[in-house]
Amino acid sequence: MKWLFPLLLVPALCRADPATLIHAAELKRAPATDAETVAQLAANSPVDALERKGGWTRVKAAAGEGWVKMLALRYSGPGEAKKGDSGITQLFNVARTGSSGTQVTTGVRGLDEQQLANAQPNREELAKMSRFAARPAAAAAFAAKGHLAAKSVEYPKP
Amino acid sequence: MKQALALLAALALAGPAHAQFNLRNLDINRLVDTVKNVSKATRTIPQSEEIEIGHDVAARLLGAAPLVADEHLQRYVNNVGRWLASQTERADLPWEFGVLDAPQVNAFAVPGGTIFITRGLLEKMHSESELAGVLAHEIVHVLKKHHLKAIQKGALASLTGEAASLTFRDMNPEAKQKLVAFGTEMYSRGLDKGDELEADRLGVVIAARAGYDAYGLPAVLQTLQAMNPADSAVALMFKTHPAPGERLDALANTMQPTLDAYASQPQLRDRFLMETKASR
Repeated sequence: MKWLFPLLLVPALCRADPATLIHAAELKRAPATDAETVAQLAANSPVDALERKGGWTRVKAAAGEGWVKMLALRYSGPGEAKKGDSGITQLFNVARTGSSGTQVTTGVRGLDEQQLANAQPNREELAKMSRFAARPAAAAAFAAKGHLAAKSVEYPKP
Repeated sequence: MKQALALLAALALAGPAHAQFNLRNLDINRLVDTVKNVSKATRTIPQSEEIEIGHDVAARLLGAAPLVADEHLQRYVNNVGRWLASQTERADLPWEFGVLDAPQVNAFAVPGGTIFITRGLLEKMHSESELAGVLAHEIVHVLKKHHLKAIQKGALASLTGEAASLTFRDMNPEAKQKLVAFGTEMYSRGLDKGDELEADRLGVVIAARAGYDAYGLPAVLQTLQAMNPADSAVALMFKTHPAPGERLDALANTMQPTLDAYASQPQLRDRFLMETKASR
């Protein structure tokens, strides 16, 4: 039985998402424009996307493994991947918490269109939120801890 | 034509009011203002009123979904958000950030500087730079008053038979209620596509200014693009925003130099996973 566990861990360790290239792209040895080109990938090539580093994504393609520009990738479209309905699942999970075992939907809150339309103001939560606000100086100290340095970057011309 | 109708409406309204005064006391200036305001259809809502309307709208959203009961998480998101907001032209607003306890994947900007993100969206993220990208997008909606302007425009259009401009002049409780109700509805109808794409472009800039990897927002858009649009968790977000693929195309077309210039700034993956793990 023991040998099963490492096998079960494999999918969790290397998340590979099926994707396609929206245009032809160079497969690079490293995440940089001046890195060695491993292969030329044609538009619409299927790849498995593994991880992102800045503007680059590591992929596994038929021609080999390497890095492509992240914005050249689109993940598989509707009906091809990620089937399922997490919203509905969540709703049922909440609904089934009733001790009677019947599906009681009263008290289920959330942010779908209907729930938004029926929402009544909650002033206590609003007051609570204010207490969690960060002062600018505290946020700056938090940023420094993460080695985030403020830069001067212009907005694009409209 | 619309303006002419509004003008007529304002004059008709001025009729009954007129009857209460004798002619000598009639406030001609006010009447002139009314007509001017209605024909202009807008006035600049002062910042204090923007904040007040925002609080009422925020209270409604909190009525739909409360905050995630995790003070540590809430303070963490406030630190990220406040640091981003400090890099903008409206740094002086009372910025507040909240994680809503809802499975739906979404984020909301409320006039006056209140930003919400859902637990459902937070769970889809992999790093602090992704969180920063989304918060920066929402911050732009506040900077540019996208919702406030839409609320004002929509409320004016719906106030047929009422003194629209007087509503905005006096901001009486009833009129304010109307604005708040309309403001909440905004989140089900969405903004103009141009506003969303502007928030993407400027959001990338704000994240870069704050020292984050500029690809945080595109990374989240790519995650969303991979989701099944038929999933009810993304239904409202997909209805109220351009398709993620279209948003990615727009960023690639307009922001590639900025994205690449700031691509190697910190993503802060580990800090994000540590600070959010209790609620993920």
